[in-house]
This record gives sequence, C-alpha cells and structure tokens, in this order.
Amino acid sequence: MRPMTQLTAILTGLLFTHLASAQSQPQPQRWVSAGGALTEWVVALGGESHLVGIDTTSQHPESIKSLPSIGYQRQLSSEGILSLRPDILIGTEEMGPPPVLEQLRAAGVKVEVLSAGADVSALQDNLKKLGALLGHDSQANQLSEQYAKQLESQHDWLAQAQLHQTAPGVLLLVSHSGSRPMVAGIGTVGDWLIKQAGGRNLATHNGYKLFSTEAMAGLNPEVLVFTDRAQGGASSRDALLKENPLLTSTQAARNKRLIEVDPTLLVGGLGPRLPEALKTLSKAFYPADGSLNAKVAPAQ
Amino acid sequence: MRVALQPKTLFIALSVACLLAIWLSLALGPVSLPLMDTLRAGMRLLGVPVQGDNLQQAELILGQIRVPRTLLGLAVGAVLALSGVAMQGLFRNPLADPGLVGVSSGAALGAAIAIVAGASLGGIPESIEPYLLSIFAFAGGLIVTAIVYRLGRRDGQTSVGIMLLAGVAMTALAGSIIGLFTYLADDATLRTLTFWNLGTLNGASYARLWPLLLVCVFVIGWLPRRAKALNALLLGESEARHLGIEVERLKRELVLCIALGVGAAVAAAGLIGFVGLIVPHLVRLMAGPDHRIVLPASALAGASLLLFADVFARLALAPAELPIGIVTAFIGAPFFLFLLVRGRT
Repeated sequence: MRPMTQLTAILTGLLFTHLASAQSQPQPQRWVSAGGALTEWVVALGGESHLVGIDTTSQHPESIKSLPSIGYQRQLSSEGILSLRPDILIGTEEMGPPPVLEQLRAAGVKVEVLSAGADVSALQDNLKKLGALLGHDSQANQLSEQYAKQLESQHDWLAQAQLHQTAPGVLLLVSHSGSRPMVAGIGTVGDWLIKQAGGRNLATHNGYKLFSTEAMAGLNPEVLVFTDRAQGGASSRDALLKENPLLTSTQAARNKRLIEVDPTLLVGGLGPRLPEALKTLSKAFYPADGSLNAKVAPAQ
Repeated sequence: MRVALQPKTLFIALSVACLLAIWLSLALGPVSLPLMDTLRAGMRLLGVPVQGDNLQQAELILGQIRVPRTLLGLAVGAVLALSGVAMQGLFRNPLADPGLVGVSSGAALGAAIAIVAGASLGGIPESIEPYLLSIFAFAGGLIVTAIVYRLGRRDGQTSVGIMLLAGVAMTALAGSIIGLFTYLADDATLRTLTFWNLGTLNGASYARLWPLLLVCVFVIGWLPRRAKALNALLLGESEARHLGIEVERLKRELVLCIALGVGAAVAAAGLIGFVGLIVPHLVRLMAGPDHRIVLPASALAGASLLLFADVFARLALAPAELPIGIVTAFIGAPFFLFLLVRGRT
C-alpha cells in the first residue's frame, strides 16, 4: 500500500534526522526557496540536495530547473507549498502574500525572511543565516569572506584603473527581444553593478523605468549594458539596435561598447555570480587596463 | 429564445453542481489527502469527536486553507453573478457588467493606491496594515460608484443613460490614474498590481472573510426580493412606474447592492472578470428572462463556476497556482458558446 510505505519512509527519515542532530537544534531537511539569488547561495553552500521546490525567479544553476516550481514569489500558494512537505521556506521581503506566510507558519513550516538589499552587509547576514540553517557555518563564512575579498580586489583594481582613465557614463537596459527597453535607476541591482564596476549610471530615477529612445540617445552613454529576457548573444544585440535605431548614434554603439549581462543576475539581491560579472563589466568600462584584470581572478 | 429547462429541473441541476463544486473544493488540492482523512477531519472541525491518528495535517489544511477558500469562492461567485443580473436589469442592456458603474475600476484604483503608496503613507496602525489593500479597494469602489450615481441624477430622477456614460468616463479616468501609478511603481510592485488585477482566492482567512460574508448575505437576501420589480423594469421605466414600482427607489437599491457586493468581492479576491457578465446570460439561455428564477439561479451558477475554476486554478500548475481570473473565462466561455450555438438551431 503506497500511503503506508510513504509513511514508513517519512518516519524512518524523521528517526534518522532526529538521531543525527540529537545534540543540536534539528536542521531543516526539506527546503523551498523563493528567491533567485538565495537559491544560488543554497546551492553554493552545498544544500542543493535539500531543495524540494523553487520559485520562478530561481533560474540558476541549470540543474535545479527540474525542481517543482511554486510560482512567483509574491503570489505563493499555501497548499501548493505544503504539498512539498517542506521544513523551511526561505525568501526575501518580497515574498508573499502575507496571509499565505501566516498559514504556512501555522502549519509548522519555518518561514525565513532574508534581505534582498543590494549591499554586502545584507548579503553577509543572509549567508550567516543560511549557513547556520544548513549546518555549514564554516563554509558560509568562507564564501562570505571570499565575496568580500573579491569585491575588495575589484575596488583596488578600479582605483588603479581610474588613475589614468575617467569613469564612463553607462546605461543599463532591460528589454524583451530588444523592444521597449527599461532603464535601471537608483536602488536596483543593475545600478549597484554599474557603480561597483566603476561606471557612472546616467539614469537618476528610482527603479526600472521605460525611456524613449530619444532620451537614451540624448544621454549619450559611453557604454551600454543590456540584458534581454527573451534571447541572448549577438541576436539580442542586433534586436536592440534594430528596435531602437537611434541608439546607433550613441558613443557606445559607435565604439561597439555594448555589453550583455545575464538577466537572472539582476533579480533577488546579490548572488554568487556577481563578482564574475563585475569583472567582465569593469574590463569593458576600462579597456586600457585589461592586463590588470588578470590579477583579480577570484580564488575558486 | 426557447425556454430549455423547467425552473425545478434547473434548480436541482444547479444545486447538484454547486454541491459537487463544494465537495471538490474541499477534497482536492495540491496536498493529496485520503478521502477518509478529509471526511474525518471535516467531522472533527464540526465538533464531532472522531477517532484517528495523524489527522492534524488534514484538519489544518481543511480548516485553515480549504474551508475559508471555499466560502470565499461561494460568496464572491454568488455576489458577482447577482450583481451582474442587477446591472443588466438596471441598464436594460445585455452588455452591462458589474464594472460599468465604476465599482471595479474604483476598487482597482483604491488597490493601486494601497499597493504603490501604502508603504510610504506611514503611521498606519499595525492591526489595520494587512487589510489596507482590501479597505482601500472597497472604499475606492464605493466612492467612484457614488460619484457616478450623483452624476446620473437630474431633477430628482436618475438617468441610467447618463449613469452609463459617466461610468465609462470614470472607468477611463480611474484607468489612467492606475496607469500613472503603474508607471511610478517599481518592478516588484508592478507585478503585485498585475496579479491583483487577475484575482485569486489564495490566502483566504476567516478575518478577511467575515466582512464579505455579511455583505454577501445582505445582497443574496435582498436582491431576489426585488425580482418582480426588475421584471417590471424590463418593460421600460415609465411602464414599471405605471405598474406601481417605485423606480427611483429600486435604482438606488440596485446601485447600492452592486457597489457593496462587488466592492466587497473585489476587496477580498481581486478583480475576477467574466462571472458577472456571462453567468446571468448563461442562466437566461437555460431558463428564460424571469428574474424570479434568474436571480437565485445566477447566484448558484456563479458560486459553482467560481469554485470549479478555483479547483482548476490550484491543481493545474501545482505547487504553483494560476490566477483565477484566467480560469473563469477559460472554463465559462466555451460553455457559453455551446449554449449560444445550441440556442440558434
């Protein structure tokens, strides 16, 4: 009988986990993650085998895509999540709606709300909590330090580069097959990326906003960073220029300084792949210092 | 249009459909509960002491998730369908839907204000904050409807023609203000707004349910009593007046019922389209235009449709969930087309 075997399996599982963590507080075994960057961190901390469900913003690494999707992080379904029998749900402040989180708590699921803030101290707090929950504290510490170190060497490199090159004016565009690009403004991860990579974000609004191509061309960015939700590679670059022909008049297009970034980098706070992306960006921002870039190769 | 069903047959069929929908809504969900557990947990919730181990989970899922959700679906479906009948009767226009007097767009505007500006308002008592969206949506619906009603008043008379146009204009105005809020919103807020516009029964809790149930009982109790007056209104306003109906009072009552009912439904579950527009037609295709039958039958049909749609919404992509606004039309429209085609031959 299937329910019976299932029950036995659960009970045996419970017994083992109980024995394993009899001394300390029991670690949650079945994880549901509602946040792209958080999912990546759980995987980086060696917790991939604990994941039983992810939300639609969790797109990395490729291997987790086969997990059941719990939908969009702001529109979670209480019974849907309960059907995965999770011990813990992790997500950012953006997770919701609140009544669903209440129902999950009432059902005995630990709901851990972490920060989606685009700054390093928020990230380090998140890593500390995740490490403790996974029982991989030292690994979390290590990753956290490594992250800080990578950013530090990034800063050092930038300081060097800026001695003999000025910071370029940059716009970061998010589009769908090139059409109707949104420009990343203050407070977005896109803005953080530009600044950390040593660029000047020419956009001064908050959040992502639609710009007319005329306004974009008027700002005349030296570098255009773009990301496309529908396609990647050369085709997305061509699509962007084809849909917005005025952009070809900018310095960025004339000097062929159009850089693509992965759209999944921009959701849900700082993820583990950001330092690598920063390196690529700052190399493009300060092309004369390409050789220096080799020095900041992260310790893998 | 021929009358296809005797009222009695229709009511039996609809009651069976409604009971079936309630049963499915209680028994099915992403968490698969054995039938016996569902039954025993249900008995326990009703206060019958039943033996059984491991009933806690079933009791929790039934009591905290499925029962409030089912009640919400019943109330929202019934109220939307009834309001649809009232609208179409009031305007004597088959294309009238409950949104026409501006209640839906007003509620959407209220919701947009709460979603986009709510965080920056500040000073909101902790106890009210979770309900801010619902309160704003309800108030928005009432205010815009009141404006539309005022605009329709001329010399102590209410002109439904002017009300209709005022409703269209207010809807457009609210739409553009919502558009402005959409522009000002950041990416995440935008998605919340979009999902709210599609409606959901997800996250139903008793605290949110009571106000709606009260309004629902009021509307369900009141509107069918005005069935005869609505029938008379079908002949035209002056004819209804000659038949001894107080037309002005009737209009006022209908607008009030619609504003309260749709406002409360939208505040509790977001914008759910299709039910208010199509369910009355569906019932009329099956049973003819007599409001004494159309009103209660629409309430039953609306409630059943919404529950069926919700069961589909929660199972189709489990463990994720479809917005119910997508599903109501998806299930209802083909059935409606079928009735249309059948009625022609």
